[in-house]
Amino acid sequence: MRFIPRQSSGNVNVTKTSAIREFLILAGSLLAIILILYLILGFVIEMVIPHLSPRLEQAMAVNLLPRIVGSETDEAKSRELQPLLDRLQEHCTKLPYHCTIKVSPSPQINALALPGGTILIFSGLLDRVASENELAFVLGHEMGHFAHRDHLRGLGRGLVFMAISTALFGPHSQINKLAARFLNLTELSFSRRQETSADHFALEVLHCAYGHVGGALTFFEKLAASEHSRYNKISFFSSHPLYPERLHELQAYSRQHGFGSGKLTPLPDDL
Amino acid sequence: MGDLVFFLILLGMGYGVGTWTEKRHYRSIMEREEQLLHLPAITAKKVELDNSKVERAVLVVGSAVISVDYFKRLLAGLRNIFGGTVKSYETLLDRARREALLRMKEKAHGASMIINVRIETSTIGKRAFKGKLGSIEAIAYGTAIKMNS
Repeated sequence: MRFIPRQSSGNVNVTKTSAIREFLILAGSLLAIILILYLILGFVIEMVIPHLSPRLEQAMAVNLLPRIVGSETDEAKSRELQPLLDRLQEHCTKLPYHCTIKVSPSPQINALALPGGTILIFSGLLDRVASENELAFVLGHEMGHFAHRDHLRGLGRGLVFMAISTALFGPHSQINKLAARFLNLTELSFSRRQETSADHFALEVLHCAYGHVGGALTFFEKLAASEHSRYNKISFFSSHPLYPERLHELQAYSRQHGFGSGKLTPLPDDL
Repeated sequence: MGDLVFFLILLGMGYGVGTWTEKRHYRSIMEREEQLLHLPAITAKKVELDNSKVERAVLVVGSAVISVDYFKRLLAGLRNIFGGTVKSYETLLDRARREALLRMKEKAHGASMIINVRIETSTIGKRAFKGKLGSIEAIAYGTAIKMNS
């Protein structure tokens, strides 16, 4: 046998391929799968939320709340407001939670319904409230979100997205950290329908507590006026948009149910 | 956002620099293979030789450690989800094996042939212990035989 050294032409061990093309195909199909899962699980969440027990929600809230609320809450003001919330909840609602109120010292004019029954109210909003009725309307509105569980709907899809990326890439991967950034818990957006039914809930609460719904409309009108004059954007409207129909809707609902306006109750002196 | 930019920079750099070094390495491999073509390296354990003419027989070893770039690692990660041929690692292994063989041949300078050639591969580096691929080492060894002139 004679050995003839010869350089082989071509290379069977390396496939001639475009790495960029392969990357685009693989990354594209992965994105498509995540998107499909996201949509499907979005529907699943819609079905699951009505059956989610308040106890489970409270367990979830243990991990979520510190991220949103932070450590800076005005304990004195929170304690001051709690009796009002307790009274409203006890006499006028049938919520499966015990709602607690937390005041956050921030110039934002906003209030949020957080998982587990916590209402976060920013001191910017408190400063603009002129009567107890107006405050009760804001609290009633947030309790309306609890009653219809809208606060979980806003959170649900974000959580689903987190769950997918955690399942695929593990909890400590870069991609998961990236996904967490998209989950901005303080900017829950609600649909018009959800806002309207929360408004109706708030009117019912107001009427039950004071016998009239005075204060509800004035509060909106006041904020809307200050929005035009001083601020371009007030966050209570960005997360609770004030569209023209909203005021009419409030008036119509009040007329329909015979809710009149009456004497406003002043705020406690400490506020 | 910062993370995303950093990620894209790594990806682009991995692809650009990785492709460039790979091309350069292949050019060098082809050149040296051509130069060392005169030295046969075969896998046979025994060859018919006139023992009186064998001057020396020594073990020759060549090894090469090569790492994969960030882009290809990500591509392989994506491939791990869907399955199939992991094409992005093919050149890595091919380069490591051929480089190891070349170094073995260079070590056997002056020999007439190398018999009983074996090639082995292992993954090394910190990531290798977590079941991930860091770098790979290919080691080629054989018996170099020098004949009396």
